[in-house]
Order: sequence, then structure tokens, then C-alpha cells
Amino acid sequence: MAEPKETPRFNLFSEEFARCPQKVYAEMRAACPVTRAMITEQPVLSRYEDVAWALRHPEIFSSAMDLQMALGTERPMIPQQVDPPAQTRYRRLLDPHFSRRKMEVRIPSIRANANALIDTFIDAGECEFDEAFAIPLPCIAFLDLLGLPKEDLGLFLELKDGIIRPNKAQPELDLEGAAKARVASGRRIYEYFERTLEERRREKASREDLLSSILFAEIDGERLSDTEILDICFLLLLAGLDTVTAALGCNIAYLASNPVQRRRLVEHPELVPGAVEELMRWETPVTAVPRLVKRDVEVGGMWIREGELATLLIGAANTDDSHFPEADRVDFERERNIHMAFGAGPHRCLGSHLARMELCAAMEEWHRRIPDYGIKPGETPRYSPGIREVLYLPIVWER
Amino acid sequence: MDSSKCVGHGRCYVLAPDVFGEDERGHCVVVEEEASGALADEARKGERNCPEGAITVETVERP
Repeated sequence: MAEPKETPRFNLFSEEFARCPQKVYAEMRAACPVTRAMITEQPVLSRYEDVAWALRHPEIFSSAMDLQMALGTERPMIPQQVDPPAQTRYRRLLDPHFSRRKMEVRIPSIRANANALIDTFIDAGECEFDEAFAIPLPCIAFLDLLGLPKEDLGLFLELKDGIIRPNKAQPELDLEGAAKARVASGRRIYEYFERTLEERRREKASREDLLSSILFAEIDGERLSDTEILDICFLLLLAGLDTVTAALGCNIAYLASNPVQRRRLVEHPELVPGAVEELMRWETPVTAVPRLVKRDVEVGGMWIREGELATLLIGAANTDDSHFPEADRVDFERERNIHMAFGAGPHRCLGSHLARMELCAAMEEWHRRIPDYGIKPGETPRYSPGIREVLYLPIVWER
Repeated sequence: MDSSKCVGHGRCYVLAPDVFGEDERGHCVVVEEEASGALADEARKGERNCPEGAITVETVERP
């Protein structure tokens, strides 16, 4: 079957797109719901229906792909880069440790951590939000959850950046140099967890934290192997930190620029959970997920070929007005919000319950203590493409 | 509730906690199989907010 006529190409990695992707999403859905990306020419899906269908058909749109090296891993991350049925086995073991009930007990400590961070800069009347709050808060929560010492915070931030943004510490690195730096950081992450697991195994008394739970957990009477545990730890580190950082930044950047919405939230803190959902939909911090196409398939009138790497544009799906009435309106009381910011289908974000709690607790504490704030005059926030971390978000408030 | 579709988003038991609950994995469990009045509205809220379309609320007429 022939490819459709020439379709426009979109650059999903420009800074402009990262700052304000919603307009581009609308153009894409209207002009070419299934298109091809600039330069790579790989397929991009943008309609809610198509993205949801792809997410629910891992036998066609597979998560097991050879891209791992790009992130410094030596093997696929578990369970994210594994397909069902093997993935199902891992999720059966991990899901109970990430359930809402299990995560709920963490709320008081998340609140305390948020307040301790706010204490460090509130009197200054300004902060660069990413560095001061959005980066450390999820990282502290991660150390807490795994039962790792708080003193390792600096080390984790360094390792995480070494993988995700090697150019942050070494701006002079070219593509090849960045790839090498990633592999080196990846190795250090494996070694850190290898050491920690070794120590845990030697300890006689079992601890209550996640690392010990995973270490001694059984599926169908079998324990996980050391490599499996390492591949899970790697995922928790990579998936659990930047995503919440990005969501926090997107939320505060939006609310700093939309004072009417912010005031409503301050006056009605009970709207926070709805606001968190709606901003997850509207901002969609993780704009897209990749999938490897396992066989030729027709989506939205275009043939996608076996072996292609498809981009499922979650952000475009989440602003599709066929599934969200008045999709362009940010409504904290949206009656039906079936956004896929945490994915859908078998790979639904393992940490979604924790992420939601972190975001709600952080938004509540922040607005209780700093209700009135704005972008520092003359400054422009800077967003990163892909995962929309607001890398530079200078905000000011009355002291 | 079609448990083959549920993947544990947990929207139902957060938005409609009197009708839906969670199992050990955080997947949906129906607590109230039959509901009327405010409880029925809650059930519909859970149905409408399930991203997987796993929940169906049927209306039955009582004689």
C-alpha cells in the first residue's frame, strides 16, 4: 500500500516545542495524525485513539528495544524495557510495593522534606525553582523509599545527571563523548547498587524499605537474581527522579504565569488533586514514549513498518478534543480526565501513585507557604525537550 | 469491572472510594455491586474516569 502524500515534518526536539508544545500538537492531529519525525523519518502517533491503541498492544508496539545504550545501561531496564509475559511477572512482584496504600504512608515525610527545602530559600524572596526544589525533592523521596542514606543525595544527583544530561557537568562533550560519559555513569550506578545489595544481604535483620523488599521477594517461589534487581534499581533511579522534577517545574511555571488559576488553588486547596491531574494532562511532562514496531501495521491511514521506531506522542493525545471537551481549557474541576500522562496498558507507570502523592503534597505545602509568586521580571523559563524539565525557572515572591 | 483491562491506574478507588477498592497490587476491586442515588453517581464517576475503559455501570429499573 502506498504512503500518503507528502506530509509536513515536525521537530519534536526544539526548545520552542518544549516550551509550548500544545499548539504544535493541535496542528499535528489536524494535519497528519500519523506522521514522520524530522531527520529520523520515524513514525509519530498523535491522536488519543491511536496512542492508546498502541500502548495497549505491546505485541506490536514493543518496549524491548536496543536503545538502552543511549542511557548508559548494559541490559534492558526492568520492567520498562521488557514485554509481557515476562513483564507481567515483574509487575506482579513490584506493583504491591508501589500501591497507593503503600505510598500513602510516605506523605508526612514528603511534606516535611518539602518544608525543609522551602525553609532554605523562603526568606530570600526568590529562587531558581529547578535547582532549589524540583530536583532535590524527588531525589530525597527516592533515597527514603529505597532506604538509602540521605548523605548520598549529592552522589545520586551527579550520577543521574551523568546519565541524562552529561553536558551539564561537562559542556564541552560532543555526542560521542556524552555517550561515553553515560556509560561511565551507568557503570558507577551498577557498582553502587551492587555494593548496597551486598551489604543488605549480610545484614541479618531485614529492613522495612523497598530495597530489602525486592531483595527477599519471591515470584512463584523464586527470588529475583542479582542482575534482575540491579536492572530494577536502574529503572527506579532513571524513571523516578527526572519525571517528577519535570512535573513540578511545569506546574509551577504554569501557575506562576496564570495568577487567576493560582489564586483559586490557594483559596481552595481541596482543588489540588484535580489541579495535579489537569496539569499532568495539559503539560504532559513526559511528552512521548518510544516503541519498536514488531510487524507492519496500519494506523490512521498510514503504514508503519516492522523495525521502525514509533514515537507515541502522549502530550498530543492528552490535548485531543475528541476525548477531552474544551481540551485547550485548563480546568481543575474537569469532570472526566482520562489522560495518559502515566501511560496506559500494561506499562502504566509503576510509580504513578507515588508521583501523584509527591506532586499533591508539594503543591499544597508550596502554596501554603508561598501563595503569591511570579516569573522573575525580564527572565524566560527554559524547558528541555523530551522530558520537559524546566531547566531554568527563576521565580520571585514578596518576602 | 473487566479485570483483564485494569492495569491499576487507581482513578476509580480515589474518585469513588465508596464503590471501588484496591487489591494488593493496586488493581480495582468492586466494593458495591449495586448502588443507587449518590452512590450510583459515584460509581459513574469511577466508570467515566477509568483510562482503560475497564468499568461498566449498568442501569436497571426497579419494579
